[in-house]
Amino acid sequence: MLEYAWIIPILPLISFILILLFGDKLKEGGGHVAVAFIGASMIISLLCISDVLSGNSIEIRGINWINWEGFEFGILVDSLAGLMMFVVSFVGFLIVVYSLGYMHGDDGVQRYYAEISLFIASMLGVIMANNLLLLFISWELVGLCSYLLIGFWYRKPSAASAAKKAFLVTRVGDFMFLLGIIVIYIHFGTFNLLELFDAAPNLEGVASGFLGVSVLTLSSLLLFGGAVGKSSQFPLHVWLPDAMEGPTTVSALIHAATMVKAGIYLIARAFPLFTPVSLLVVAIVGIITALIAAAMAAVMTDIKRIIAYSTISSLGLMTLALGLGGYAAGLYYLMNHAFFKALLFLAAGSVLHATNVFDIRHIRGLRTKMPITAATAFIAALSLSGLPPLGGFWGKDEILIASFSGGIIFFVMTLIVSFLTTFFTFRWFFSIFMGKPNEAAKHAHESPKIMTFPLIIIAFGVVLVTLPIFMNFEHWILSWLPILTLNKLHHAGHGPDFVVPLAVSIQLIALYLAYNIYCKERFTSEIFIKRFGPIHTLILNKFYLDNIYLVFAERIVGGFSFALNKFDLGVVDGIVNGVGIVSMRISSRLRKIQTGLVQDYASVMLMGICALLILLKVGGGL
Amino acid sequence: MIPIHYYLILSILVFGIGALGVLTTKNGIKLLMCIELMLNAANINLVVFSRYIGDIHGQVFAAFIISISAAEVAVGLAIVLMIYRIHGTIDFRKIKKMRW
Repeated sequence: MLEYAWIIPILPLISFILILLFGDKLKEGGGHVAVAFIGASMIISLLCISDVLSGNSIEIRGINWINWEGFEFGILVDSLAGLMMFVVSFVGFLIVVYSLGYMHGDDGVQRYYAEISLFIASMLGVIMANNLLLLFISWELVGLCSYLLIGFWYRKPSAASAAKKAFLVTRVGDFMFLLGIIVIYIHFGTFNLLELFDAAPNLEGVASGFLGVSVLTLSSLLLFGGAVGKSSQFPLHVWLPDAMEGPTTVSALIHAATMVKAGIYLIARAFPLFTPVSLLVVAIVGIITALIAAAMAAVMTDIKRIIAYSTISSLGLMTLALGLGGYAAGLYYLMNHAFFKALLFLAAGSVLHATNVFDIRHIRGLRTKMPITAATAFIAALSLSGLPPLGGFWGKDEILIASFSGGIIFFVMTLIVSFLTTFFTFRWFFSIFMGKPNEAAKHAHESPKIMTFPLIIIAFGVVLVTLPIFMNFEHWILSWLPILTLNKLHHAGHGPDFVVPLAVSIQLIALYLAYNIYCKERFTSEIFIKRFGPIHTLILNKFYLDNIYLVFAERIVGGFSFALNKFDLGVVDGIVNGVGIVSMRISSRLRKIQTGLVQDYASVMLMGICALLILLKVGGGL
Repeated sequence: MIPIHYYLILSILVFGIGALGVLTTKNGIKLLMCIELMLNAANINLVVFSRYIGDIHGQVFAAFIISISAAEVAVGLAIVLMIYRIHGTIDFRKIKKMRW
């Protein structure tokens, strides 16, 4: 089956073209076409994954795009790609089905399904590329789709500017990614991933001539720069919360389950290139991201933004795990996160569909009106919170154990993140679904079957993806890595015994706190706000990072651009226009010699011939 | 035999009259006639040199030039006629459309 794996990304691409051309003539703007093609793609990828599960992998070198070494485009399917394919095609398919209900009756459904098909095609391209260049092209396409879908309701100014923000902020990372690819090509002479990993040990310790870092450190850090942008890590995390302006399905698919995982995937894929120095940078960025995002998630009130910040926090945990060598832990958490976070978003979408209230303080007690949504949201929240027995618990504990090996600072910070995660997850859940139904909840109805069906399926998925931890997940996911790289890893399950009980008891305290404040309303969060006033304000204002970026953009970039504009208008345009003005002045005089009279021309000709003859005579030519 | 420079002086005179006419006349018909004079000055030269060198080719050329100039005059007259129809005059001083 694996030799047909190239069909997997082609099918959504065909669906994109079909919907683009004929979507306006089809029902639901071509939504059924998208479901059919993406469903077929999912079936093929599930068949391929079952092959990969039994230990096979394949590299197909297909198209020789430019006749140059290392430019052969092809696909690479191994355990890492298989894991990501499972996430993307399965979650993607269910979200497209859910969209049939959620997007029903929207003006731009044709655009929506076309863009989502293109997104799934290019996301599969990122995952299955055997070549950094193809990976980069797909990576940019994914970014484009994200931009288009965030700005899907482009008549809303906030959506349009959020789309622009996402595009510009991720561009910073993409630029570093491109630089990394160039550095790699200069030193390795190839774009092919497997050749690259074979060659990596030979370049160990070779200096790059840039700030005294080695080639491997430089190139891996530049690639990590790309991941920081895409996976919304500190300090480029600011775009993801604003990206919630798009439809909730888009938030679930792109900004929780798949695209933001592309950065984590890139770190995991390029792992053989990372050196201890760059891994430390990865871990530090990861823990900072996880901590500040968890803090922000705990104070926000928008139903979707809370989940967005929790996504950033979870991505930070995955980055941390990879940076500390907890390779399998990070990827296991990634897979679980894709499912429970998509489910959480779809549940939020279901709530929004029924009530259209965005503030969690203005909505209470939905569990009786929307039992299916509440039940599925509970499963997702349980997994996200990191409490047993679902996948989030196992993944987070592996990450905790890995962080323990990274030192006490990492460990304490990860514990704080766990505490905050449990707290804000149940703050979200209790606020919306528990307590007495208020005015907004009384008129709510359970969403249509086309929406609850995917919810239930993904809820089963959340439970199911817990299982690999009991199987030989670590051995399987590590199977594609070169042997030398394995030495850099921290193996799962090798930590002291007190870690897991300590983490669970801390999380139970958080749960108890959230239960008393938001479910039973025994006391309010006001006392904490009063006690920690300045910190609360700081977090509520997102650590003023947006303001800092705005000042940077306005003052420094804007001032520089202003100067450049003056230079362009004055000097460059001055030279160009000056040349034009001078030649126009000269020619306006010169043209007067064209009198239009035949006899003038004839006399000049005659005089010319006479002059020639005289010259020749004087010169002795005749 | 008449010396060759007699003929050449005649040819120069005819050519000079023609050239002066071309440069000074206002009338289109006169202009054409002056061009004919210049052509025939060249014909005189051709015939004279042909006779003196003893090569018949020059006279053949003269015969060709006479017939071709007949055709040329026909075209020239047609142009003058059209200019008259369009502008109502054949004064070349007044026809100066082809300029800046």
